[in-house]
Amino acid sequence: MSETLQNPVLEKDENGREILLKVKDLAVTFYNGKKEFKAVHDVNFNVYKGETFSLVGESGSGKTTIGRAIIRINPTSNGDIYFMGKKINGKISHEDQRWVIRNMQMVFQDPAASLNERATIDYIVSEGLQNFHLYKDEEDRKQKVLNALESVGLLAEHATRYPHEFSGGQRQRIGIARAMVMEPTLLIADEPISALDVSIRAQVLNLLNEFKRDKGLTQIFIAHDLSVVRYISDRIAVIHKGQIVELAETNELFKNPMHPYTISLMSAIPLPDPEIEKAKTLITFDEEEEAKKWNYAENAPTFREIVPGHFIYCNDAEMEEFKKHYQK
Amino acid sequence: MSEMNNKFVFVKSDERESEHIAAPKYSYWRSVFKQFLSKKSTIAILIIASIVILLSIIDPMLSGYNGISHPNINNDSMKFIGPCFKYLFGTDSYGDNLWNVVWIGARNSLGIAGLTTLITITLGVTVGSIWGYSKSMDKWMIEIYNIIANVPFTLIVFVMMYILGRGFWQLIFAMSVTSWLGTAYFIRTQVMIIRDREYNLASRCLGTGKWTIVKNNILPYLISIIVTSISRDLPSYISLEVFLAWLGIGVGESTPSLGKTISANRIFMTNSGYLFWIPVAVSAIITVSLYVAGQTLADAADPRTHR
Repeated sequence: MSETLQNPVLEKDENGREILLKVKDLAVTFYNGKKEFKAVHDVNFNVYKGETFSLVGESGSGKTTIGRAIIRINPTSNGDIYFMGKKINGKISHEDQRWVIRNMQMVFQDPAASLNERATIDYIVSEGLQNFHLYKDEEDRKQKVLNALESVGLLAEHATRYPHEFSGGQRQRIGIARAMVMEPTLLIADEPISALDVSIRAQVLNLLNEFKRDKGLTQIFIAHDLSVVRYISDRIAVIHKGQIVELAETNELFKNPMHPYTISLMSAIPLPDPEIEKAKTLITFDEEEEAKKWNYAENAPTFREIVPGHFIYCNDAEMEEFKKHYQK
Repeated sequence: MSEMNNKFVFVKSDERESEHIAAPKYSYWRSVFKQFLSKKSTIAILIIASIVILLSIIDPMLSGYNGISHPNINNDSMKFIGPCFKYLFGTDSYGDNLWNVVWIGARNSLGIAGLTTLITITLGVTVGSIWGYSKSMDKWMIEIYNIIANVPFTLIVFVMMYILGRGFWQLIFAMSVTSWLGTAYFIRTQVMIIRDREYNLASRCLGTGKWTIVKNNILPYLISIIVTSISRDLPSYISLEVFLAWLGIGVGESTPSLGKTISANRIFMTNSGYLFWIPVAVSAIITVSLYVAGQTLADAADPRTHR
């Protein structure tokens, strides 16, 4: 059993890319007493092996919720999540739960809150190792912790220190070391740089890129900053109000943004030239106006593929418009 | 200009060196004790508390006084001798040395309060941390708590003492049988506050079990709160014992206690005042010094106060 888990035969899509994670009609609902709130609904996407897939959207759009649903922190209310061909949402066996943990890890948003202040770095980094007994003896465990620390640019002497002695960037790297020591197949990075100083953001981004290059790590990168996402990801999904409105490869998305929400997001990217930045007109996205314009009441929009690999949430009338735009 | 240039030398930047932490190694418990002993007033309070506790342990061993036999009961010349060099606290209506009476009483009162606190805190913290962590347990535990917490505590102790009879162990049982619920509720609320913090989610994502999360992630954050509870409970049980003895319930005839001495000697408050006021003063010194020392330790246990 474990042999097949180590090297599973992954399902391939029509282009021959190996699907590592498949999310189908995902919905997450939160309940507050009898009030229910649909944080995420009708989310569909694949994550291919070895790629960095990004989820972008404004605060409260549900991107973190999707990430947490995949790693089983948030229970799903509808839909399926398949990881290496195996269903991992809803009730699963204890063994499968451990298998998910073993192969999927997460880096959290806030480095100030995501480390146990009363534990040493040694304990924090080896927590996963200890839960799964992924070491031969004490010597081996120490070596693994040391390797993990060095792989994120920290020193051996840091193992005996406590989290409050580190800077934000160092703490975030400890968070990455803690996840990477498990040697996961999929890493979910939940806004790993949004709480960091601009000067040390590149440090963490380059580190994630290094893991991708050297270990073939597949990543789901959650962010709200499009310029960062452009730098790190292969494919991008734009989320608005718990729904993916546009999904395409990075170059394609930046060359041909279609959905009005994506266009408005891109107009908000600050430009380094103050002259251009001042003259720039910001495009705002008005959902109600949009719905009226395309008559959503009669012809409901769905998530469809406009050109191969480029998906947009739209209805028939909109689709015609997009296709016209494409032919130009 | 050239002179200026000579003063500056190019240094290579060393990334590994910049990661180095220059601050001395941090140890939680060492910092706690350093902070705890940093104030002179705390040391004075500690000395007073330890003298009182040591006397209450050592004096009953030396004197052999047990509160049952009164050798001088027929010797009127030994009764009501005021505090003097030979009898520091004077002698009481039975002709016993009040010094011995007070310290054996203090020993028993401290024992009752200490054991009751131990039971209350152990049960309270254990149940409270499970209660706070488990959402399903919360539903029915909160109902049990609501019912029991609304019955007056003194009433429960009264009824218990009437059912069980008076005595050392009976009193401990009566005082701790429901009071641990209060501690458990307090701990439950604290656990709920930190249960869903991101670092606990991170531990869950690493496959850490419930118990390990409670033990390693949650309880260490509550040390300060637990010490506060202890320093509040311990003196309050000493006072409660005094109060119950005053009402005529509490430890039995054969067990001396501070409360019993105080309530027995209240009739001498006007003519031989020292018989009443000395035990009251000792009881006050014990409660105040334990409370202050406990609160200072609780403050020191909070890492925000470290350096």
